[in-house]
Amino acid sequence: MAPSSGQQRACYVYGILPEDIELGSGMTGVGDPPGQLRVVRSDDLAALVSDVDPARPLGSPDDLRTHKEILDSSAAEVPVLPLRFGAVMAGDDAVASELLQPFHDEFSAALDQLDGLAEYVIKGRYAGPRILEEVLSENSQAQRLREQIRGQDPDATRELRIQLGEIISDAVSAKREKDTRELLDAMADHCAESFVREPTHEDDAVHVAFLVETGQEQEMEKVVEDLTRKWEGRAELRVLGPMAAYDFVGTTQPGG
Amino acid sequence: MTTAVQPGGGNAARPSPSGLADVIDTILDKGLVIDAYVRVSLVGIELLTIDARIVVASVDTYLRFAEAVNRLDISQEKEGLPGLVGKLEEGGAKHKTKGAIEAAGDKLRDFAGDAKERAYSRGRGGEG
Repeated sequence: MAPSSGQQRACYVYGILPEDIELGSGMTGVGDPPGQLRVVRSDDLAALVSDVDPARPLGSPDDLRTHKEILDSSAAEVPVLPLRFGAVMAGDDAVASELLQPFHDEFSAALDQLDGLAEYVIKGRYAGPRILEEVLSENSQAQRLREQIRGQDPDATRELRIQLGEIISDAVSAKREKDTRELLDAMADHCAESFVREPTHEDDAVHVAFLVETGQEQEMEKVVEDLTRKWEGRAELRVLGPMAAYDFVGTTQPGG
Repeated sequence: MTTAVQPGGGNAARPSPSGLADVIDTILDKGLVIDAYVRVSLVGIELLTIDARIVVASVDTYLRFAEAVNRLDISQEKEGLPGLVGKLEEGGAKHKTKGAIEAAGDKLRDFAGDAKERAYSRGRGGEG
Protein backbone atom coordinates (compact mmCIF):
# COMPACT_ATOMS: atom_id res chain seq x y z
CA MET A 1 0.00 0.00 0.00
CA ALA A 2 1.00 3.62 -0.33
CA PRO A 3 3.23 4.94 2.39
CA SER A 4 1.92 7.41 4.90
CA SER A 5 2.19 10.94 3.65
CA GLY A 6 5.19 12.99 4.66
CA GLN A 7 7.49 9.99 4.58
CA GLN A 8 10.81 11.07 3.09
CA ARG A 9 11.60 7.74 1.54
CA ALA A 10 10.94 5.99 -1.67
CA CYS A 11 12.10 2.72 -3.07
CA TYR A 12 14.53 2.72 -5.97
CA VAL A 13 14.28 -0.49 -7.99
CA TYR A 14 17.32 -1.85 -9.85
CA GLY A 15 16.13 -5.09 -11.28
CA ILE A 16 14.35 -8.39 -10.85
CA LEU A 17 16.09 -11.67 -10.08
CA PRO A 18 15.27 -15.16 -8.86
CA GLU A 19 14.31 -15.27 -5.21
CA ASP A 20 17.25 -17.38 -4.02
CA ILE A 21 19.91 -14.70 -4.22
CA GLU A 22 21.99 -13.46 -1.38
CA LEU A 23 23.48 -10.01 -1.13
CA GLY A 24 27.05 -9.30 -0.25
CA SER A 25 27.04 -7.28 2.93
CA GLY A 26 27.37 -3.52 3.17
CA MET A 27 26.44 -2.69 -0.40
CA THR A 28 24.91 0.70 -1.00
CA GLY A 29 22.76 2.05 -3.78
CA VAL A 30 22.14 5.25 -5.65
CA GLY A 31 21.46 8.63 -4.07
CA ASP A 32 23.29 10.86 -1.65
CA PRO A 33 23.54 9.63 0.99
CA PRO A 34 23.09 6.20 -0.54
CA GLY A 35 20.70 3.71 1.02
CA GLN A 36 21.54 0.11 1.84
CA LEU A 37 20.92 -2.34 -0.94
CA ARG A 38 18.06 -4.68 -0.01
CA VAL A 39 16.01 -7.47 -1.47
CA VAL A 40 12.23 -7.46 -1.68
CA ARG A 41 10.91 -10.97 -2.20
CA SER A 42 7.64 -12.27 -3.49
CA ASP A 43 7.06 -15.89 -4.35
CA ASP A 44 10.07 -17.01 -6.39
CA LEU A 45 11.05 -13.50 -7.49
CA ALA A 46 13.19 -10.85 -5.88
CA ALA A 47 13.70 -7.18 -6.59
CA LEU A 48 16.91 -5.37 -5.73
CA VAL A 49 16.04 -2.05 -4.12
CA SER A 50 17.41 0.72 -1.94
CA ASP A 51 15.86 3.73 -0.24
CA VAL A 52 16.13 7.13 -1.84
CA ASP A 53 14.89 10.56 -0.90
CA PRO A 54 12.30 11.41 -3.54
CA ALA A 55 12.99 15.11 -3.13
CA ARG A 56 16.56 14.79 -4.37
CA PRO A 57 17.31 14.44 -8.05
CA LEU A 58 19.14 11.32 -9.20
CA GLY A 59 21.56 10.91 -12.04
CA SER A 60 25.04 11.86 -10.92
CA PRO A 61 27.85 9.89 -12.57
CA ASP A 62 28.08 7.86 -9.37
CA ASP A 63 24.37 7.09 -9.48
CA LEU A 64 24.61 5.89 -13.06
CA ARG A 65 27.63 3.72 -12.35
CA THR A 66 26.13 2.31 -9.18
CA HIS A 67 22.93 1.30 -10.93
CA LYS A 68 24.87 -0.56 -13.58
CA GLU A 69 27.42 -2.13 -11.26
CA ILE A 70 24.75 -3.51 -8.98
CA LEU A 71 23.02 -5.22 -11.88
CA ASP A 72 26.12 -6.34 -13.71
CA SER A 73 27.70 -7.89 -10.66
CA SER A 74 24.92 -10.44 -10.61
CA ALA A 75 24.63 -11.02 -14.34
CA ALA A 76 27.49 -13.47 -14.60
CA GLU A 77 25.97 -15.62 -11.88
CA VAL A 78 22.21 -15.46 -12.12
CA PRO A 79 19.67 -14.18 -14.61
CA VAL A 80 18.57 -10.63 -13.97
CA LEU A 81 15.98 -8.36 -15.54
CA PRO A 82 17.42 -4.86 -15.41
CA LEU A 83 15.14 -1.87 -15.06
CA ARG A 84 15.93 1.31 -16.87
CA PHE A 85 17.67 3.90 -14.71
CA GLY A 86 15.32 5.93 -12.55
CA ALA A 87 12.61 3.47 -11.49
CA VAL A 88 11.23 4.56 -8.13
CA MET A 89 8.24 3.17 -6.27
CA ALA A 90 6.46 4.17 -3.10
CA GLY A 91 7.78 1.38 -0.89
CA ASP A 92 8.63 -2.28 -0.44
CA ASP A 93 4.98 -3.30 -0.26
CA ALA A 94 4.31 -1.64 -3.58
CA VAL A 95 7.27 -3.39 -5.18
CA ALA A 96 5.88 -6.75 -4.09
CA SER A 97 2.18 -6.15 -4.68
CA GLU A 98 2.26 -3.96 -7.77
CA LEU A 99 5.35 -5.14 -9.61
CA LEU A 100 6.43 -8.65 -8.65
CA GLN A 101 3.03 -10.24 -8.04
CA PRO A 102 0.94 -8.99 -10.96
CA PHE A 103 3.68 -9.64 -13.51
CA HIS A 104 5.02 -12.78 -11.91
CA ASP A 105 4.54 -15.08 -14.87
CA GLU A 106 6.05 -12.69 -17.36
CA PHE A 107 9.12 -11.98 -15.22
CA SER A 108 9.56 -15.60 -14.30
CA ALA A 109 9.47 -16.72 -17.92
CA ALA A 110 11.94 -14.02 -18.91
CA LEU A 111 14.34 -15.04 -16.14
CA ASP A 112 14.14 -18.65 -17.29
CA GLN A 113 15.07 -17.60 -20.79
CA LEU A 114 18.07 -15.64 -19.55
CA ASP A 115 19.36 -18.43 -17.39
CA GLY A 116 22.98 -19.23 -18.22
CA LEU A 117 23.36 -16.21 -20.47
CA ALA A 118 25.04 -12.85 -20.00
CA GLU A 119 25.23 -9.81 -22.20
CA TYR A 120 28.41 -8.49 -23.73
CA VAL A 121 28.73 -5.42 -25.87
CA ILE A 122 31.36 -5.28 -28.56
CA LYS A 123 32.17 -1.74 -29.42
CA GLY A 124 34.49 -0.52 -32.13
CA ARG A 125 35.70 2.91 -33.11
CA TYR A 126 37.35 3.92 -36.33
CA ALA A 127 40.68 5.24 -35.23
CA GLY A 128 43.26 7.23 -37.07
CA PRO A 129 43.15 8.47 -40.65
CA ARG A 130 42.90 5.04 -42.25
CA ILE A 131 39.15 4.98 -42.58
CA LEU A 132 39.10 8.39 -44.26
CA GLU A 133 41.85 7.30 -46.62
CA GLU A 134 39.76 4.27 -47.49
CA VAL A 135 36.72 6.40 -48.17
CA LEU A 136 38.62 8.94 -50.25
CA SER A 137 40.34 6.29 -52.29
CA GLU A 138 36.99 4.78 -53.18
CA ASN A 139 35.19 7.99 -54.00
CA SER A 140 36.39 10.30 -56.73
CA GLN A 141 33.66 12.84 -56.07
CA ALA A 142 34.92 13.23 -52.52
CA GLN A 143 38.45 13.66 -53.81
CA ARG A 144 37.35 16.42 -56.17
CA LEU A 145 35.38 18.24 -53.51
CA ARG A 146 38.30 18.03 -51.17
CA GLU A 147 40.53 19.72 -53.72
CA GLN A 148 37.99 22.43 -54.37
CA ILE A 149 37.81 23.28 -50.69
CA ARG A 150 41.49 23.08 -49.97
CA GLY A 151 43.01 26.39 -48.96
CA GLN A 152 39.77 28.30 -49.47
CA ASP A 153 38.02 30.55 -46.99
CA PRO A 154 35.97 28.17 -44.80
CA ASP A 155 32.95 30.47 -44.84
CA ALA A 156 32.90 30.62 -48.61
CA THR A 157 33.09 26.86 -48.94
CA ARG A 158 30.56 25.98 -46.29
CA GLU A 159 28.12 24.38 -48.71
CA LEU A 160 30.89 22.39 -50.35
CA ARG A 161 32.18 21.27 -47.00
CA ILE A 162 28.74 20.08 -45.99
CA GLN A 163 28.45 18.26 -49.28
CA LEU A 164 31.83 16.60 -48.81
CA GLY A 165 31.06 15.75 -45.21
CA GLU A 166 27.78 14.15 -46.17
CA ILE A 167 29.48 11.97 -48.75
CA ILE A 168 32.07 10.91 -46.18
CA SER A 169 29.40 10.34 -43.55
CA ASP A 170 27.38 8.15 -45.90
CA ALA A 171 30.47 6.22 -46.86
CA VAL A 172 31.44 5.69 -43.23
CA SER A 173 27.89 4.48 -42.52
CA ALA A 174 28.25 1.97 -45.32
CA LYS A 175 31.56 0.79 -43.84
CA ARG A 176 29.91 0.54 -40.43
CA GLU A 177 27.17 -1.66 -41.87
CA LYS A 178 29.67 -3.87 -43.60
CA ASP A 179 31.89 -4.18 -40.55
CA THR A 180 28.88 -4.84 -38.34
CA ARG A 181 27.79 -7.59 -40.72
CA GLU A 182 31.23 -9.12 -40.48
CA LEU A 183 31.14 -9.09 -36.69
CA LEU A 184 27.64 -10.59 -36.65
CA ASP A 185 28.70 -13.36 -39.00
CA ALA A 186 31.78 -14.12 -36.93
CA MET A 187 29.73 -14.25 -33.73
CA ALA A 188 26.77 -16.14 -35.16
CA ASP A 189 27.83 -19.50 -33.74
CA HIS A 190 28.91 -18.11 -30.40
CA CYS A 191 25.89 -16.22 -29.16
CA ALA A 192 22.27 -16.94 -28.38
CA GLU A 193 21.09 -13.59 -29.66
CA SER A 194 22.43 -10.33 -30.94
CA PHE A 195 21.19 -6.78 -31.10
CA VAL A 196 22.74 -4.08 -33.22
CA ARG A 197 22.78 -0.87 -31.23
CA GLU A 198 22.39 2.51 -32.82
CA PRO A 199 25.72 4.19 -33.40
CA THR A 200 26.36 6.71 -30.65
CA HIS A 201 29.23 8.43 -32.36
CA GLU A 202 30.12 9.23 -35.92
CA ASP A 203 33.30 7.18 -35.60
CA ASP A 204 31.50 4.07 -34.39
CA ALA A 205 32.59 1.05 -36.38
CA VAL A 206 30.52 -1.60 -34.62
CA HIS A 207 28.21 -1.43 -31.63
CA VAL A 208 26.51 -4.73 -30.99
CA ALA A 209 25.12 -6.43 -27.91
CA PHE A 210 25.38 -10.21 -27.68
CA LEU A 211 23.77 -12.70 -25.37
CA VAL A 212 26.52 -15.19 -24.69
CA GLU A 213 26.20 -18.52 -22.97
CA THR A 214 28.29 -18.94 -19.88
CA GLY A 215 31.35 -20.83 -21.04
CA GLN A 216 31.32 -19.38 -24.54
CA GLU A 217 33.24 -16.26 -23.61
CA GLN A 218 36.48 -17.61 -24.98
CA GLU A 219 35.01 -18.10 -28.42
CA MET A 220 33.83 -14.52 -28.32
CA GLU A 221 37.25 -13.32 -27.28
CA LYS A 222 38.77 -15.23 -30.14
CA VAL A 223 36.45 -13.47 -32.58
CA VAL A 224 37.43 -10.12 -31.13
CA GLU A 225 41.12 -10.96 -31.31
CA ASP A 226 40.84 -11.99 -34.94
CA LEU A 227 39.00 -8.83 -35.91
CA THR A 228 41.35 -6.67 -33.88
CA ARG A 229 44.22 -8.11 -35.87
CA LYS A 230 42.41 -7.70 -39.14
CA TRP A 231 41.37 -4.11 -38.44
CA GLU A 232 44.58 -3.01 -36.81
CA GLY A 233 45.29 0.67 -37.43
CA ARG A 234 41.77 1.11 -38.73
CA ALA A 235 39.37 0.34 -35.92
CA GLU A 236 39.76 -0.40 -32.24
CA LEU A 237 37.55 -2.91 -30.47
CA ARG A 238 36.49 -3.17 -26.88
CA VAL A 239 34.41 -5.75 -25.08
CA LEU A 240 32.12 -4.59 -22.29
CA GLY A 241 30.66 -7.14 -19.92
CA PRO A 242 29.49 -9.40 -18.57
CA MET A 243 26.49 -7.25 -17.88
CA ALA A 244 22.79 -7.63 -17.29
CA ALA A 245 20.81 -8.25 -20.46
CA TYR A 246 19.73 -4.65 -20.96
CA ASP A 247 19.34 -5.05 -24.70
CA PHE A 248 17.32 -8.23 -24.52
CA VAL A 249 14.58 -7.48 -22.06
CA GLY A 250 11.67 -6.07 -23.95
CA THR A 251 8.75 -4.36 -22.35
CA THR A 252 6.07 -6.26 -24.15
CA GLN A 253 3.19 -4.21 -22.85
CA PRO A 254 2.42 -1.41 -25.25
CA GLY A 255 2.25 1.17 -22.50
CA GLY A 256 -1.51 1.14 -22.23
CA MET B 1 21.22 -20.46 -2.58
CA THR B 2 23.24 -18.34 -4.92
CA THR B 3 25.45 -15.56 -3.77
CA ALA B 4 25.09 -13.38 -6.75
CA VAL B 5 25.47 -9.77 -5.92
CA GLN B 6 28.91 -8.86 -4.75
CA PRO B 7 30.72 -5.59 -4.66
CA GLY B 8 33.17 -5.38 -7.50
CA GLY B 9 31.45 -7.93 -9.60
CA GLY B 10 32.60 -11.13 -7.98
CA ASN B 11 35.22 -13.32 -9.58
CA ALA B 12 33.48 -13.96 -12.84
CA ALA B 13 33.90 -10.42 -14.03
CA ARG B 14 36.63 -9.84 -16.51
CA PRO B 15 38.44 -6.56 -16.63
CA SER B 16 36.41 -4.38 -18.91
CA PRO B 17 36.92 -0.66 -18.95
CA SER B 18 33.51 0.85 -18.74
CA GLY B 19 33.50 4.60 -19.01
CA LEU B 20 30.59 6.78 -18.10
CA ALA B 21 29.62 7.09 -21.75
CA ASP B 22 29.28 3.31 -21.97
CA VAL B 23 27.16 3.31 -18.84
CA ILE B 24 24.90 5.99 -20.24
CA ASP B 25 24.48 4.13 -23.52
CA THR B 26 23.30 1.11 -21.62
CA ILE B 27 21.12 2.12 -18.72
CA LEU B 28 19.31 5.22 -19.91
CA ASP B 29 17.39 3.82 -22.81
CA LYS B 30 17.53 0.10 -22.27
CA GLY B 31 16.08 -2.24 -19.71
CA LEU B 32 12.54 -2.66 -18.49
CA VAL B 33 10.51 0.51 -18.27
CA ILE B 34 8.86 0.65 -14.90
CA ASP B 35 5.87 2.73 -15.91
CA ALA B 36 4.81 0.09 -18.38
CA TYR B 37 4.11 -2.06 -15.31
CA VAL B 38 3.38 0.18 -12.42
CA ARG B 39 1.03 3.13 -12.23
CA VAL B 40 -0.21 3.65 -8.74
CA SER B 41 2.93 3.61 -6.65
CA LEU B 42 5.27 5.15 -9.10
CA VAL B 43 7.27 7.99 -7.64
CA GLY B 44 8.36 10.60 -10.11
CA ILE B 45 11.87 11.68 -9.31
CA GLU B 46 13.88 14.30 -11.07
CA LEU B 47 16.64 12.81 -13.19
CA LEU B 48 19.80 14.74 -13.88
CA THR B 49 20.77 12.79 -16.92
CA ILE B 50 22.09 14.13 -20.12
CA ASP B 51 21.74 12.70 -23.54
CA ALA B 52 25.30 12.58 -24.70
CA ARG B 53 24.44 10.95 -27.96
CA ILE B 54 25.77 12.51 -31.10
CA VAL B 55 23.34 12.66 -33.96
CA VAL B 56 25.30 10.72 -36.50
CA ALA B 57 23.88 12.35 -39.60
CA SER B 58 23.82 16.09 -39.06
CA VAL B 59 25.40 19.19 -40.48
CA ASP B 60 27.76 19.24 -37.52
CA THR B 61 28.88 15.73 -38.32
CA TYR B 62 29.37 16.60 -41.96
CA LEU B 63 31.47 19.63 -41.13
CA ARG B 64 33.62 17.61 -38.77
CA PHE B 65 34.18 14.95 -41.40
CA ALA B 66 35.03 17.57 -44.00
CA GLU B 67 37.51 19.13 -41.63
CA ALA B 68 39.10 15.80 -40.82
CA VAL B 69 39.44 14.97 -44.49
CA ASN B 70 40.88 18.39 -45.13
CA ARG B 71 43.54 17.74 -42.52
CA LEU B 72 44.71 14.56 -44.18
CA ASP B 73 48.07 15.41 -45.57
CA ILE B 74 47.61 14.48 -49.19
CA SER B 75 49.63 16.47 -51.64
CA GLN B 76 49.07 14.60 -54.87
CA GLU B 77 45.38 14.51 -55.30
CA LYS B 78 45.27 13.15 -58.82
CA GLU B 79 47.50 10.19 -58.26
CA GLY B 80 46.07 6.85 -57.39
CA LEU B 81 46.05 5.94 -53.77
CA PRO B 82 48.81 3.33 -53.62
CA GLY B 83 51.55 5.93 -53.62
CA LEU B 84 49.60 8.06 -51.27
CA VAL B 85 49.18 5.77 -48.36
CA GLY B 86 52.66 6.20 -46.97
CA LYS B 87 52.30 9.95 -47.02
CA LEU B 88 48.94 9.76 -45.39
CA GLU B 89 50.29 7.75 -42.53
CA GLU B 90 52.91 10.36 -41.84
CA GLY B 91 50.38 13.12 -42.01
CA GLY B 92 48.06 11.21 -39.78
CA ALA B 93 50.71 10.76 -37.16
CA LYS B 94 51.70 14.37 -37.33
CA HIS B 95 48.21 15.65 -36.83
CA LYS B 96 47.11 12.98 -34.51
CA THR B 97 46.71 15.13 -31.45
CA LYS B 98 44.08 17.26 -33.06
CA GLY B 99 42.60 14.79 -35.47
CA ALA B 100 38.83 14.71 -35.29
CA ILE B 101 38.85 11.08 -36.25
CA GLU B 102 41.36 9.97 -33.67
CA ALA B 103 40.52 7.26 -31.24
CA ALA B 104 38.97 9.94 -29.05
CA GLY B 105 37.74 7.99 -26.14
CA ASP B 106 35.27 9.83 -24.12
CA LYS B 107 31.97 10.72 -25.58
CA LEU B 108 31.28 13.24 -22.88
CA ARG B 109 34.39 15.10 -23.86
CA ASP B 110 33.26 14.92 -27.45
CA PHE B 111 29.90 16.17 -26.42
CA ALA B 112 31.36 19.18 -24.69
CA GLY B 113 33.51 19.96 -27.70
CA ASP B 114 30.51 19.52 -29.89
CA ALA B 115 28.45 22.00 -27.97
CA LYS B 116 31.26 24.50 -28.16
CA GLU B 117 31.52 24.07 -31.86
CA ARG B 118 27.85 24.62 -32.34
CA ALA B 119 27.87 27.72 -30.22
CA TYR B 120 30.74 29.00 -32.25
CA SER B 121 29.09 28.55 -35.59
CA ARG B 122 25.89 30.06 -34.30
CA GLY B 123 27.84 33.01 -33.01
CA ARG B 124 29.07 33.58 -36.49
CA GLY B 125 25.57 33.41 -37.82
CA GLY B 126 26.55 30.36 -39.80
CA GLU B 127 23.56 28.13 -39.19
CA GLY B 128 20.98 28.44 -41.94
